[in-house]
Amino acid sequence: MSAITATGLTKRYGAKAAVDDASFTIEQGEIVGFLGPNGAGKTTTLRMLAGLVRPSSGTCTVLGAPVPGGTLREVGTMIEEPSFYPYMTGRSNLRHAALLHGDVPPRRVDEVLEFVSLQDAADKKVRAYSQGMRQRLALARALLWRPKVMLLDEPTNGLDPAGIAEVRESLRSVAAQGVTVLVSSHILAEIEKLVNRILAIEAGRIVFDGSLRELVERMGAPTVTYTVTARDQAGLLAALAELGYAPTPRGEDGADVTVPDEEADLLLGRLAERGVRVTSATQRGEDLEGAYLRLIDPRRRPS
Amino acid sequence: MSALVATVRAETFKLLRKRRVYVLAFLYWVVLPAIGLIVGRLLYTNLREFEREGLPVNDLLQSLFSAHGLATVALTGPAYMSPTPYIIAVVLLAALFIGEERGQNMWKTVLVVQPDRPAVLTGKLVVAMGALLALMLGAFLSAILFGTVGMSFLPTDLSGDWLGLLGLYLWQWAHLLAPVLLAFLLIFLVRSAVLGIVMVLLLPGLIEGLYTVLNTLFNLQPLTRFNAIFQALRLQRVWEAAPRYFFTTNLYAPGRTPAREIANELLETTVQPQDLGPLQMVLGTTTSLGHAAAVMAGYVLVFGLLLYWLFRRRDVD
Repeated sequence: MSAITATGLTKRYGAKAAVDDASFTIEQGEIVGFLGPNGAGKTTTLRMLAGLVRPSSGTCTVLGAPVPGGTLREVGTMIEEPSFYPYMTGRSNLRHAALLHGDVPPRRVDEVLEFVSLQDAADKKVRAYSQGMRQRLALARALLWRPKVMLLDEPTNGLDPAGIAEVRESLRSVAAQGVTVLVSSHILAEIEKLVNRILAIEAGRIVFDGSLRELVERMGAPTVTYTVTARDQAGLLAALAELGYAPTPRGEDGADVTVPDEEADLLLGRLAERGVRVTSATQRGEDLEGAYLRLIDPRRRPS
Repeated sequence: MSALVATVRAETFKLLRKRRVYVLAFLYWVVLPAIGLIVGRLLYTNLREFEREGLPVNDLLQSLFSAHGLATVALTGPAYMSPTPYIIAVVLLAALFIGEERGQNMWKTVLVVQPDRPAVLTGKLVVAMGALLALMLGAFLSAILFGTVGMSFLPTDLSGDWLGLLGLYLWQWAHLLAPVLLAFLLIFLVRSAVLGIVMVLLLPGLIEGLYTVLNTLFNLQPLTRFNAIFQALRLQRVWEAAPRYFFTTNLYAPGRTPAREIANELLETTVQPQDLGPLQMVLGTTTSLGHAAAVMAGYVLVFGLLLYWLFRRRDVD
């Protein structure tokens, strides 16, 4: 039994299709990244899977049962901005959700608070929470009833790097327990570190469904990014600019520069010709961001 | 655990964490009967001199400021205010259970945690009606308490038709289901607690006021092209019967019932009339309880069906 299936899922608002004939299947235990630019239809798709929005046509199932249906009680969600009753404490908000669900033992509230490291702030009113704390509390709420499927929309939105790392670790730990996770994010580096499969949506249509490696292979790798350091950073930046590149300073002695694939081997030689004494150079392979940008923007693809 | 029971438990949990509920209870349970006792005491002091002229001061105090009197006033008094405390309590509860979910963007959470939408709506209604029942029964009990205290400085006792009065409390409470459904419906429909509350407070009165204006226009003499059409359609009788089906007229029928008895009691001993005549129109006590119950059942059916249909179908954006 698949964890999630969507078959011809379509949502129209008037003449505009927010989601257009989306079909995909997610097996149990998979962690799938859901990518797409703003307005592509990610949130609408997640809302349909969560039973909040009725599809105009098509169907979806969660854990084998049609949505909306009883299996939604096995789903944990974070959709868009986390919302709470601000006059209640974090703990009270979780207790309310636990009571509403009906099958959550009372001690579970403390367990999830501890899991997201919020036990010290649990008795503060939510209106006093920072964005990061709200995000973590929302994750705690989504985990309350030990869901088998999680639908997460931008779960790291508004978090600082430490918070992002915490959420990432939390999600990894959840996924290790066999929970199926469909997670959308704008922070591609995060998705890259978390997921083993990508679903990409553009203008309401699923434009890619496969592994990260398949995405990179399909989009090709026309550029290579170097991190170069030299004793004279100003000289390094000037030489790179002279060669027609757009370097970004890194630290006090380095620069990041992206060069066409065919010029990659020549870069260091050209710098040496201009008297730049390179102390180190690290070449990074094609990353998700590059492949993704070319997926949604054909002008970036190699001709 | 059933979805309905889970919702009732969760919404009760939420209700008990809302300060406005305690403020409302304090006003209804403490402030109103306390004011009643103070007024009773002032009247007792100042009306003594009228006793010689035949004013039945003790009867008046027993009718209004005894335990039974205070409990009667707690039921009847609010039905004559504008807006009535009943409606204020209803809209505050509707704002809490429906408006707040929208205002705090909580529907997306509530309806994922508990996807059984009819159960969620029913649970919210059950808790709202339960809160109203607690408020009303609390007022009933606190009136007894304050009335008993009042016996120490007022010539009153505990006599009265207690069961009949309790029945009217429950009858009035049952009638409040219609405005609760209306408030839930309007707040959900317009997607704004504030706008929904304003509509609940103003709409029934507005419709009834409009009727009065139109009624005057239609009955203008001589006949004009305007009212002639209306009269030719033979809708006159229907039109004249319409006020009997008005929302507010029927909604407060149980609460206003004791007003007739109080007026009768007072007038009987001071003036002659047994029949209150036009005063009944002023008191709004011409509607029988059976008729009012049937009309309110109709409103409950219409508002309830619309609300459930809308609640089941609407997307959560």
